Amino acid sequence: MYMEILDFDIVVLGSGIAGMTSAIHAELAAGEKLRIALVSKVHAMRSHSVSAEGGISGVLYPTENKDSVLLHGYDTVKGSDYLADQDAVEMLAENAPKEIKFFEHLGVPWNREENGRINERPFGGMSVPRTAFAADKTGFFMMRALYDEITLHKGVEIFHEYIVTALLMDRGRFVGLHAIGLKSGRQVLFRAKSCVIATGGFARIYGFATTSYSSTGDGIALAYRAGLPLKDMEFVQFHPTGLIPSGILITEAARGEGAYLRNSKGERFMERYAKSKMELAPRDIVARAIISEIEAGRGLRNKESGLEYVHLDLTHLDSRKIDEKLPMVRDITTKMLHLDPSKDLIPIRPASHFTMGGIHTNINGEVMAGPSGKTADGIWAVGECACVSVHGANRLGSNSLSQCAVWGRIVGTAIAKHAKGSWKITTEAARELSAEEENRITDLTERKGSEDPYEIMKEMQATLDKNLYVYKTVAGMKRAIKEMRKLRSRYADIYIKDKGSVYNTNLRDAIEIGNMLELAGVVAECAAARKESRGSHYVLEYPERNDKKWMKHTIAQRSIRGTRISYIPVRINKWRPEKRVY
Amino acid sequence: MRASRYMLFLYAAMIGTPVLLYIRIFSLAGGMLLLSTILLALAAIGLVVFGILGYMEIYSGRRPEKMPLDIPVHYAPARHEGRFEGEGRSVTLRVARFDTESKMMKEKEYCVRADRLTTVLGALLAIKENDDPTLAMRYSCRMGICGSCGMVINGKPALACETNVFDSISNGKIMVEPMYGHPLTRDLVTDFDDFFEKHVSVNPGLYRKNGAEKYAAKKPYDQSRKEIDKFLPYSYCIMCGLCLDACPVVNANPNFAGPQALSQAYRYHADSRDQMGDKRLFDIDTVDGVWGCEFAGACSKVCPKGVDPAAAIQLLKGELFKKVATDEKEG
Repeated sequence: MYMEILDFDIVVLGSGIAGMTSAIHAELAAGEKLRIALVSKVHAMRSHSVSAEGGISGVLYPTENKDSVLLHGYDTVKGSDYLADQDAVEMLAENAPKEIKFFEHLGVPWNREENGRINERPFGGMSVPRTAFAADKTGFFMMRALYDEITLHKGVEIFHEYIVTALLMDRGRFVGLHAIGLKSGRQVLFRAKSCVIATGGFARIYGFATTSYSSTGDGIALAYRAGLPLKDMEFVQFHPTGLIPSGILITEAARGEGAYLRNSKGERFMERYAKSKMELAPRDIVARAIISEIEAGRGLRNKESGLEYVHLDLTHLDSRKIDEKLPMVRDITTKMLHLDPSKDLIPIRPASHFTMGGIHTNINGEVMAGPSGKTADGIWAVGECACVSVHGANRLGSNSLSQCAVWGRIVGTAIAKHAKGSWKITTEAARELSAEEENRITDLTERKGSEDPYEIMKEMQATLDKNLYVYKTVAGMKRAIKEMRKLRSRYADIYIKDKGSVYNTNLRDAIEIGNMLELAGVVAECAAARKESRGSHYVLEYPERNDKKWMKHTIAQRSIRGTRISYIPVRINKWRPEKRVY
Repeated sequence: MRASRYMLFLYAAMIGTPVLLYIRIFSLAGGMLLLSTILLALAAIGLVVFGILGYMEIYSGRRPEKMPLDIPVHYAPARHEGRFEGEGRSVTLRVARFDTESKMMKEKEYCVRADRLTTVLGALLAIKENDDPTLAMRYSCRMGICGSCGMVINGKPALACETNVFDSISNGKIMVEPMYGHPLTRDLVTDFDDFFEKHVSVNPGLYRKNGAEKYAAKKPYDQSRKEIDKFLPYSYCIMCGLCLDACPVVNANPNFAGPQALSQAYRYHADSRDQMGDKRLFDIDTVDGVWGCEFAGACSKVCPKGVDPAAAIQLLKGELFKKVATDEKEG
């Protein structure tokens, strides 16, 4: 088989909000002289960003809302349990308002007040209303605006449904991506001067997850395998309101608009856990509160799935308000559960939702070559797959969309400059590396193994659901590490039953499962190494935050003997750590 | 109810015994004595044994379900990732699969266990993960917003993730087919290249005369509630392609721009922030544009997001009529 080789100036991997924003800004910054490839494993407009519901944070009207960029920064840092790098947080808060306006100019139909101004709603952990929204389909509207916008940019060529299997690096420098075109079944080498990784998170390593099936952390796994460092991988956010039994997200905006959480006795139990913010405390605190209630026997049990849950109560909200601001909540509960949110209580429990950790980048989104010091040549990372880090140990709702937009612009602009520079596409190295990868893929499809990849995936998800959930234990984390090791060695012996070349989803799934398994192992090891509780990482044996010893980022790198863990300091300049009470 | 084999023995014994008794009485004088006695004894034992077995089967309420042996049964709970062996009953899915080698459709039956919350996508994924990994389909968000899983379920174009298994069952079966309004790729997967091209052809995207001002985004473009309401209903399109599958015109004339693209042309035309003016409108003022629409309305009926493409196209026609009228007045 002859491999196809495609040459570009820039290749953007991933078509979510971060990826498409970077591509657009790269073209805007460069003029039409650059050739940009946007490579996506799904149809570009179907990336998981469409599922973002609640909104995008940004201080639009400081005087009217009694808000300030500084307050946004403080809320974010406090929400992160002081693990966020504060210069990055300032950058986010400063630039977010501009990006909301930018998306408005691309056509997003923001909800507005009577006077035509963009409406902002309250959100978890935010002191004042500062989350702009388009009903509860904010991510969807942003994605549609971006996709329609990108069709106007002729320099960007979209490759729908190409799954990338390897990030090719030659002596610390990016040279290309190796991919399989799902529709043709052919293997393709994308060569480019520079690359943006924007492949999103890996919340699907858990079985009970809010995210799309496509959130398998491919880009992070590719970087890890290429020897690049990952940061803060132990911090996985559990969204308090994942719908029973599927895990579908019920937006935090429901609570932002006034919904209550109730246990089996009908009590608003958040009183006991966050007296002042109640349901609008940050997600890690609400998720722990729900699990504590369930463990105290004040939960309910779903007959079909066996899952225990508590209730989200919207019955006291005006039905018209639900239609205008939360139409998707109504749509989902009616279609999936035959429930009417105006009359019935909605069964929910915490579900894995967002991964704060990711590829270690500096404040400009450049991927680092090691724990500190030099950056890797020609590689940037944006969005959930990157760890800048603005979210620290716990992300505040609606900060993720602003992160994608803000760093989309920063990275897009920087990469255009890089691609215009004197770099040349490295021809030979990329071809050799790609040929190696081609052999690996061919071997994967043709070998006769004995393990079913789906079986391995289910075992991985069940293990993590049980051992690395909202509350962790030392023994549980140890078990997870051991189990992941076992599953990895079983994965080496998988077989792919589908021998067809056209749209081979069996092969795609096997590759994704391999990626998830790799990351699950890193998550378990980083979690076991952090002997404190901070943000989303809560260990029963170490219930306190320990700033003296653990105020530092975890860096995980691949080595011959497994994951090598080291630590780098957190950048603190404005806000000194204090006790986190809501 | 089908008679079991025990019951057949029971009936045979009940009829056989009087016959043997009759022979026994009339053969007292003859030489058949020994043989008829043995037969009578056997029949009496049979009557007792099979009678008891048959009785037990009728009253124990045990009805062994008959399944074709070649179809394995798997459990597909709504939360398909878990393996909780909860409640549920078995459902038969008949999947029409497009074979890429032979370019033929092949139908295959699968049995899955489903509960009251199982969706068609959940059932298909259970088949894929437990039974037949070669089954190709497109899916992602499973919450009706990414637009991946459009297919034809019991004759109706729908999103598999939003369709409950028991709501769509008919004659105890669910028929799942790919969307025939798009070129077939494999199994349930269809090709969207033409579809995306049509979408791009109508100039979707917010156009501003001053591009630099648009991207600098210094000031928001304020909009009133009334201005938003003009385009908002048409902005919910998730590009799933179901309307194209339902449209009788596209299926007869592949060059017709189709309800999805045209509704999106209207979405941007009606947005007060857009400044493309008449260009977008005149580009679709053709027989393969708005005038191709015969107002069958099937597109609006199948749209899972409540977009009304049929109405959008009629509004576009109205806009064009208005232009002609003003042109004549001025000319």
